[in-house]
Amino acid sequence: MNDGAVHITDLVKTYTDDRGRPTFTAVKKINLEIQNGEFMVLVGPSGCGKTTTLRMVAGLEKITSGTIAIGDRIVNDMEPKDRGIAMVFQNYALYPHMTIFNNMAFGLQLAKKKKDFIQDTVGRTSKALGLDQMLERKPQALSGGQRQRVALGRAIVRNPQVFLFDEPLSNLDAKMRVQMRSEISRLHSQLGNTMIYVTHDQVEAMTMGDRICVMKDGAIMQVADPLTLYRQPENLFVAGFIGSPPMNLLKGKIERRDGGLVFAETAEQNAVSVPLIGQVEALGSKLLDKPVIFGVRPEHLTEESKNGSHVPVASSVDIAEPMGSESLVYLKAGTGNLIARIHGEALYEMGQPLTVYVNMEKVLLFDSETEKVIR
Amino acid sequence: MSPQRKQFLRQLTAHLVLIIVCALVLVPLVMVILASFRKGNFPPNALWLSLDQWTLDHWKYVLGIPYREVMNATSGETRLIQAQTPPLHWFFNSILVASLASLGIILLAGTAAYAFARLRFRFRGPTLTGLLILQMFPQVLALTAYYRILSYIGQRVPWIGLNTFPGLILIYLSGISINIWMIKGYFDTISISMEESARIDGASRFQTFFRILLPMSAPIFAVVFILSFIGMISEYPTASVVLQDSAVRTLAVGAYSLVGEQEKLWGHFSALAVLSGVPITIMFLLCQRFIIGGLTSGGAKE
Repeated sequence: MNDGAVHITDLVKTYTDDRGRPTFTAVKKINLEIQNGEFMVLVGPSGCGKTTTLRMVAGLEKITSGTIAIGDRIVNDMEPKDRGIAMVFQNYALYPHMTIFNNMAFGLQLAKKKKDFIQDTVGRTSKALGLDQMLERKPQALSGGQRQRVALGRAIVRNPQVFLFDEPLSNLDAKMRVQMRSEISRLHSQLGNTMIYVTHDQVEAMTMGDRICVMKDGAIMQVADPLTLYRQPENLFVAGFIGSPPMNLLKGKIERRDGGLVFAETAEQNAVSVPLIGQVEALGSKLLDKPVIFGVRPEHLTEESKNGSHVPVASSVDIAEPMGSESLVYLKAGTGNLIARIHGEALYEMGQPLTVYVNMEKVLLFDSETEKVIR
Repeated sequence: MSPQRKQFLRQLTAHLVLIIVCALVLVPLVMVILASFRKGNFPPNALWLSLDQWTLDHWKYVLGIPYREVMNATSGETRLIQAQTPPLHWFFNSILVASLASLGIILLAGTAAYAFARLRFRFRGPTLTGLLILQMFPQVLALTAYYRILSYIGQRVPWIGLNTFPGLILIYLSGISINIWMIKGYFDTISISMEESARIDGASRFQTFFRILLPMSAPIFAVVFILSFIGMISEYPTASVVLQDSAVRTLAVGAYSLVGEQEKLWGHFSALAVLSGVPITIMFLLCQRFIIGGLTSGGAKE
């Protein structure tokens, strides 16, 4: 079975006003291949075009140009019901005047399925979701988590090839969100269907996705599995967007000092300078005097020097957020702040001088102009 | 002044104001009711009837029940009176016209409002504004035009011409722009995701409209229905021009005919006026149960 693959080719969405004049291009010629059975997360800040893309796959939004194919059928002009998709909306979108049973059965009733079949399908699905005790209630009598579960159930009974999720967890409280997150992940492994999941929350993206598609301003920035995205971001945007707290990014250039290469922050005073060693030195030698952005993740700033790969940076503690097993320490260094994720149960005081060591093996350099990573 | 006294005065003032407002509403009503039970045809002007003034004659006349009227007080001569077209007939005419027209308005304004709220098309904005501006001119202004149009249609299609209910209803149906605005405003507050969800579930536009949007919009339809119904029961100018035969008159037209130039039958008129409140009250009680909040709650979280 290979029906659940989704092929998006040169997809463009331009919104128009009542008179048909173009107003805003939300999706700019994107290409994306989603494999059958894959859990693909579309993530990005609001307005990046992720929801628009999903709605075009669902058939709720007309496609301006390009094609979307599900399996081997191009679905551009197909009605949503014929596309083999089911969608879970951010605001549940349950039918408030119908019982839970009818909410879940509505699609099957419209498809003129047999009564026994409907009874059986809805019964089984509601049982699996723990909703079988409340089939006669109306959505109003349910909690947020239960409502979203009904929305899930309504999608499941349609037996679609592709599940579409439009920020399904953003209306739930933090605890419920974590629970539903694992429930959707479990659902994916049980059903094995293709799932496309839109979220603005990079934690959701990292924890749920087989692969993640990071979008910005209607364009795809990078598509990769979570760890690749984290370790090898292709550009500045992905580096800054994925990871919490975000990657430390310093503007500056590579200079030659005392016979060695140094990254020097661009600043009037107190500029941070980091001597380059190892592979970064090799990279830096090609970029002498060019403007670059120096990126290092908080967990690669440590308090103690290890072997030969770490170089020291002098700083002082601005704010420390002890979280138990680790502390997020906001350091005053150079012109701005550096965030370090330091393990251990140590407490830090404001203004306390602290020398952190940068793990140079993990440092990334980005081109200041193209914002692409330099390899 | 002690706090208790202050409190007392405040409540006294509040109650006085409320009593005055209630009196403003109730006094005319009581006067009309009493006039409908008063012997002879006196305009509603009294708040008290002495026992010997009571009579059911006006109500008998209105309901089409024959009764004897004293013609000559000295000789005791009486005559049998029965309305040629009983006013009750006008009453049913009114209910028929108002119900059909209100239903038509709901159907037309509801679907139009759906289009304005949910579809995107050229001139959507200007058309909406146009409807609003059009509504600012009273329908009465076009009365002569309506008359000509209906008489023209009537010559070719007699059942929609002058002196027909379809003709009158047709005119009433033309004044729905304010209702379109009201219903559209309500639709705008309902999250579109439920309709999108229905679309994915395989519902057609009509199924979505009738099975998803309509049930959720019951309150606004009840309000529009009641307002149209009340408006049409008491509408006079248009009805008086279109309906001139005694048999097809509506309540308002018929009632006015009782207080004509030569003869002012205030007693009959009063009985009829009280009667006209009945369907409005019944309709209000029927629709009231739809006018409740929270119909859409639980469907979508905003």
